Amino acid sequence: MGLLSILRKLKSTPDQEVRILLLGLDNGGKTTLLKQLASEDISHITPTQGFNIKSVQSQGFKLNVWDIGGQRKIRPYWRNYFENTDVLIYVIDSADRKRFEETGQELAELLDEEKLSGVPVLIFANKQDLLTAAPASEIAEGLNLHTIRDRMWQIQSCSALTGEGIQEGMNWVCKSVNSKKK
Amino acid sequence: MLGYIWQYVCTSFLRYWVKWLFRHLTGKCELQRICSGHKPGATRTTKAALETSKDNLEQCVNQIMKEKNVKPQNDPLFKGSLHICLLQITGYSSLFISVEDLRKEVFSSENPEHEAMLLKLWDLLMPTVKLESRITKQWGDIGFQGDDPKTDFRGMGMLGLINLVFFSENYTEEARQVLSHANHPKLGYSYAIVGINLTEMAYSLLKSGALKPHFYNTVLGTPELRHFHQLYCYLAYEFDKFWVAEEPESIMLFNQYREKFHNIVKTHLQDPDVSLALMVHSKNKPK
Repeated sequence: MGLLSILRKLKSTPDQEVRILLLGLDNGGKTTLLKQLASEDISHITPTQGFNIKSVQSQGFKLNVWDIGGQRKIRPYWRNYFENTDVLIYVIDSADRKRFEETGQELAELLDEEKLSGVPVLIFANKQDLLTAAPASEIAEGLNLHTIRDRMWQIQSCSALTGEGIQEGMNWVCKSVNSKKK
Repeated sequence: MLGYIWQYVCTSFLRYWVKWLFRHLTGKCELQRICSGHKPGATRTTKAALETSKDNLEQCVNQIMKEKNVKPQNDPLFKGSLHICLLQITGYSSLFISVEDLRKEVFSSENPEHEAMLLKLWDLLMPTVKLESRITKQWGDIGFQGDDPKTDFRGMGMLGLINLVFFSENYTEEARQVLSHANHPKLGYSYAIVGINLTEMAYSLLKSGALKPHFYNTVLGTPELRHFHQLYCYLAYEFDKFWVAEEPESIMLFNQYREKFHNIVKTHLQDPDVSLALMVHSKNKPK
């Protein structure tokens, strides 16, 4: 096979599209994470009213990431975005201990949603750059993640601010999409 | 028309002014002291820029007139016009520096001034309702996300809060009217966080230089912070009008409509005669 035909073949197989839903309480860091994934400036982020969407190329996938605002008032709209979700990414502010209970409840409700049944879930224990951040293991225990049996799940500590841990998390996302499609 | 003249004057003479600056930078003057007394970097450049813009502009105008052999008696208005042009040009960059400083100032609950300003915002918008405590769900009534607004300022810092307070203080009636639209059960949006979002719009427009024609047309001299706050008031008021007229299906479509509004504003700014002024009576109208 000549070089040209290889190139042509590469061009003719478009990236597989993956729909990723980014959810979590307000001020968790979802938009910062989204912008970090798209290699955009993260210095003047404002609270998300509605949603943001970006497409990112990664490991032969075209990741369409939906970042939905986390304020209580618009959480009822989350369900409008469940359909055809390939992976759910749930973002937690690891330093906001006062709201661990609230974030746990929201996550539990999401995992009970019929439209999200079987959808792999990645939990980002975000804001690890803060001294007061709880470690991922503590959060996993608090949220009883080990009781999840009906889907693949993973918890990954990260800092959307510094970018640490994000690549590892996204690797897991791509891996879980691959094994699900098999 | 005035804008065109300024543009002409600026492009014709700025070159000489820059040359003059360089001469001074290498000669013995105040600037030299700044340059030798500071390490290279933002602080030094900022100081030098402020120094040249404030004290030396008049001198600079004289120098240009000498160099170009302009006789004041033949063209008595020239000196004043050129001076204003230079004040506007240098003022735009120093305005950005002041705005950037406020944006970088993080809202802190430990700072009594910050706290007082937040409570003032509540009192201005909700004069008949007492805030039950500092941490309360009531903040949602003026469009913050949770029970403590401090996390909502984020990337806009104190700039976001100051803009919100400025609008409520100088255009109290309009601000309350906008808030009542924002609290509409179907067409509503979150007043405070949309306000912070519009601060981001104003900030980006300023940073990109898109606001130059607006400030050159509306401020005959050095633009100041209040002129920036004034522009925010325009955006807050006009966005509300736009949103109400468009009747979006739900708040989830916010970013789509924000982009549409952003494009309208950018189109206005293409007009050399643009003036984005809020056309209502202000209690405390800036000069």
